[in-house]
Amino acid sequence: MFNILRMDLYRLIRSKSVYICLAFLMIMSFLCFWLIWMLDTPEGRTMAAKIGISLIELENDGFSVTAAAPAAEGEILQGYDILAMFREIGMDGGAYTCILGIVVSIFVCHDYNCGFIKNILSQHRKRWKYIGSKLITAGILNLFYLALSFGFCLLLNAVFGGLVPMVDVGSILFYLGLSWLLTTAFAALFILIITLSRSTSAGILSSILLGSGIVVTVLITLTKYWGLEKWADYTLYINQTYAPSCYSGIADLKGFAVGAAFLLLYSAASFIVLNRKDI
Amino acid sequence: MEHNREQQKGLAVETRALTKTYKGRPAVNHLDMRVQEGAIYGFIGRNGAGKSTTLKMLCGLARPTEGEISLFGRKTSDPICARRVGCLIESAGLYPNMTARQNAVAKAKCMGLTDLSAVDRALAATGMDNTGNKKVKLFSMGMKQRLGIALALLGNPDLLILDEPINGLDPEGVREIRQLLQKLNEAGKTFIISSHILGELSKLATHYGIIKEGNLVEQMDRDTLESKCADYYCIEVDNIKRALPMITENMPEIQTEVYDNQSIRLFGLKEGSALNRLLIENGIQIYSSGFHHMDLEEYFLSRMEGNNPQTKGH
Repeated sequence: MFNILRMDLYRLIRSKSVYICLAFLMIMSFLCFWLIWMLDTPEGRTMAAKIGISLIELENDGFSVTAAAPAAEGEILQGYDILAMFREIGMDGGAYTCILGIVVSIFVCHDYNCGFIKNILSQHRKRWKYIGSKLITAGILNLFYLALSFGFCLLLNAVFGGLVPMVDVGSILFYLGLSWLLTTAFAALFILIITLSRSTSAGILSSILLGSGIVVTVLITLTKYWGLEKWADYTLYINQTYAPSCYSGIADLKGFAVGAAFLLLYSAASFIVLNRKDI
Repeated sequence: MEHNREQQKGLAVETRALTKTYKGRPAVNHLDMRVQEGAIYGFIGRNGAGKSTTLKMLCGLARPTEGEISLFGRKTSDPICARRVGCLIESAGLYPNMTARQNAVAKAKCMGLTDLSAVDRALAATGMDNTGNKKVKLFSMGMKQRLGIALALLGNPDLLILDEPINGLDPEGVREIRQLLQKLNEAGKTFIISSHILGELSKLATHYGIIKEGNLVEQMDRDTLESKCADYYCIEVDNIKRALPMITENMPEIQTEVYDNQSIRLFGLKEGSALNRLLIENGIQIYSSGFHHMDLEEYFLSRMEGNNPQTKGH
């Protein structure tokens, strides 16, 4: 398995999609910080006025377009810290999961599309090694993305004059660890879908639909009629969106259990599917 | 002597009742294939006959529905087996956004090869060492095939399974690959080669297997094929229905075969003038006559049509 992993990592660092998606994550973070800075600081508002950006101010009977500030200084980010900001940018809405899913889909499906999988599986007849390698690669990529995105948020916060306060390292590690496990479980789901479909389009589409929570939201709405919406508490998406930002009790570990369970389930399912299908 | 030496060698590939079914329909049906170590086994069959499915099963890319495969006397689940096999199945599986060398390095890493000089040797052997930074997506079909062969050669495997390896190669490329395969064979490598270019295959193969509708209809060595493709006398006449009984009555020791309802093929005839005289004297008009030698293609086609030159009746 580690030989396949060596090959996957060799390929990963040469994959353009990895860098394009990382750049997208960083641009997303930059835009969020920049907009908040323009709305929330006097210097930002001055710059907004200079470059001709109009702010839409909501009123009781409609809205008006004005260059004036809609809120008092610091009001928008009241109660926010760096972790909350990081979550708002990409984690809670599922944007990060979608992007990770797209990269994983492109990366894994490439083996099938170009036929290189024949070279791999003719050398490694125990197919769990292939799935294991892809999962570890996805986990490493996820760790790399999470670390860099969060690091970039810290950098942006410093560059924009400390818009939000820092939180303790323990909370950061707890949240990033939980997010890593849940999003890696998502990656395992996308690997399963690709193993089944062998289609990049199917992988990308499912990344968007599942990662953004569209599927879960629709299903919650449907099952709400029968009062059965409690199942959603055990989904990856809900656990990701409502993940606790710090450890305050044993209940906060539920997300880890859900993530680990789905990771194992999807990995086993991927192995079974790959084992049954011919190349 | 040669025969004894072959018998002393082990079997590189042996399949027993190898079967693969898709939705209940057998693509490969109870195949008993035997490939001697050091042989170049030409695997021939029409499109959809089951060649690629068989080769995929040998390479571990498809799972047999029934039957057993042993490679060098070991079961395919033995990890040593995979290391001794290099394959190129259907098209060469290559990452299009990587260079030739990067593809080869990727495969070498996957195989656990730490000495990357093996990559350079494989690329040099197939003439792919001078492609520089050109991406595979810009390669011609022939270049991709060569690179596919280079990847199959990585790790110095004892058995090479090549499915249509000369597809898309120019005549010069075909010759180079043939010379390379011959050189590797002389060094002791065993090959299973499937190809539709039978003329080219006949220049290489030492053994043949013919597959038809999933069944291995014949397996033989080159000498046996030569004897089966022995010279025959072909005569085209105006009335086959009258000529055939006349030949069988007057020449009972000669084997005959009607071909395409137009001509009669006679096997075992040393000289044709007596036959021509016999037919003319009996009022049968001869359009053409002469000795011919059957090549692999002709033999293959005759087997596909259900004929077996060796077992022809009168």
